Amino acid sequence: MNFSFRKKRISGLLTVVPANESSFIDEMKNFNFPEARSLKLMEVMGYNKRRMVKEGVCVSDLAVHGLQHLFDRGLLKPDEIDALLVVTQSPDHFMPPTSNLIQGRLNLKQDMLCLDINQACAGFVVGLMQAFMLLEQESVQKVVLINADVLSRKASPKDRNIFPLIGDAASIAIIERGNDDAVIHASLKMDGKRSEALVIPAGGLRMPSTAETATLEDVGDNNLRAKDHLRMDGSAIFNFVQLEVPPLIEGLLSRAGVATGAVDYFLCHQPNRFMLQKLADKMKIPHAKMPNNVVERFGNSSGATIPVAIIINLKEQVTQGSLQVVLAGFGGGLTWAAMLIRVGNLAFCDLLEYP
Amino acid sequence: MNEFLTKVAAILEVNEMKSSDELKAFPQWDSLAVLSVIAMLDANYGVNLRAADFDTTTTAEDLWNLVQSKKRV
Repeated sequence: MNFSFRKKRISGLLTVVPANESSFIDEMKNFNFPEARSLKLMEVMGYNKRRMVKEGVCVSDLAVHGLQHLFDRGLLKPDEIDALLVVTQSPDHFMPPTSNLIQGRLNLKQDMLCLDINQACAGFVVGLMQAFMLLEQESVQKVVLINADVLSRKASPKDRNIFPLIGDAASIAIIERGNDDAVIHASLKMDGKRSEALVIPAGGLRMPSTAETATLEDVGDNNLRAKDHLRMDGSAIFNFVQLEVPPLIEGLLSRAGVATGAVDYFLCHQPNRFMLQKLADKMKIPHAKMPNNVVERFGNSSGATIPVAIIINLKEQVTQGSLQVVLAGFGGGLTWAAMLIRVGNLAFCDLLEYP
Repeated sequence: MNEFLTKVAAILEVNEMKSSDELKAFPQWDSLAVLSVIAMLDANYGVNLRAADFDTTTTAEDLWNLVQSKKRV
């Protein structure tokens, strides 16, 4: 389905990443595969370094660290926040919402909306859409959108299918009204029939965690994982992205009347380098216009990867000028979403480490 | 089919491949090889296979026949 928005803008971006770095070379001895094949996988997928939280660190810890940093530097005032959106698949608790926990820990005002959104890799685009809708209300001047996950805690260290690509991060985007009258177009699709492709089978009420669900098992592909762990059907996700994302973006651009060549950058969710290169090839977009270097430096941090891609590749352009970009997220749900938006004149665009 | 065999051989990092060769007999045949073949078939033949499709595929020729049958659909 299609959406359009006017006079909304991203005014600042900060991403918090754990200082704790791990490397594929160190980890590959944990996998049940010949070293040469793991090295080949590293080369093709672009695996190398990634950031993982230390034991016990939760989404609210990363988010509070980032927001406190913005308060301390006068980049955001606590009382300005009229809505706090937290997009996560790894909340601190079932109840209460992680957004309420963050509100409480930072002593924010009561006169505000806290809202958790259960979305994964498409979560930055979904979160922006929700923020723009809230800004239609007179009482909402500023929305803080947080995309945060600590899914390394739900990945099996003996699963070569998922462990080497997962990274943890929390991105904070400040969303407010803007003067630019250009229409912001967005398109989104969902398909719950294919939800099995990305799933954490146990730990909810359908299959509560027990000693049995914590037991590692080999489902026939030499990877060991438990039902408490995140599972990904890699080839199903690959096909999903190749089949569904190009027509979504092409439809978005044609509706907006914007040629592919007029888009400065295609800022996609970062599953791995391989998938992004194949996506760019399929859409006949030069690789330089679709950054793919987030996984090799930080890992795939779900909804936070698009902000990371902007911060590490385009900081100067989006703080000193502006760019016409397509943002595209795709993953768990399944959900795929894209947005054509001008991003620029950001007050800040920084990476911050969580000690 | 020769071009197809050459492409599969390149993915498995072997010099040549015969249509009767069994895919799973290659030590390099793992999830990365499967994904690389899926990507190659998508880019070159417009065919989208799933990893499960390889369960019923033994030789390179079986795979080629599967690709041909999907192309006609």
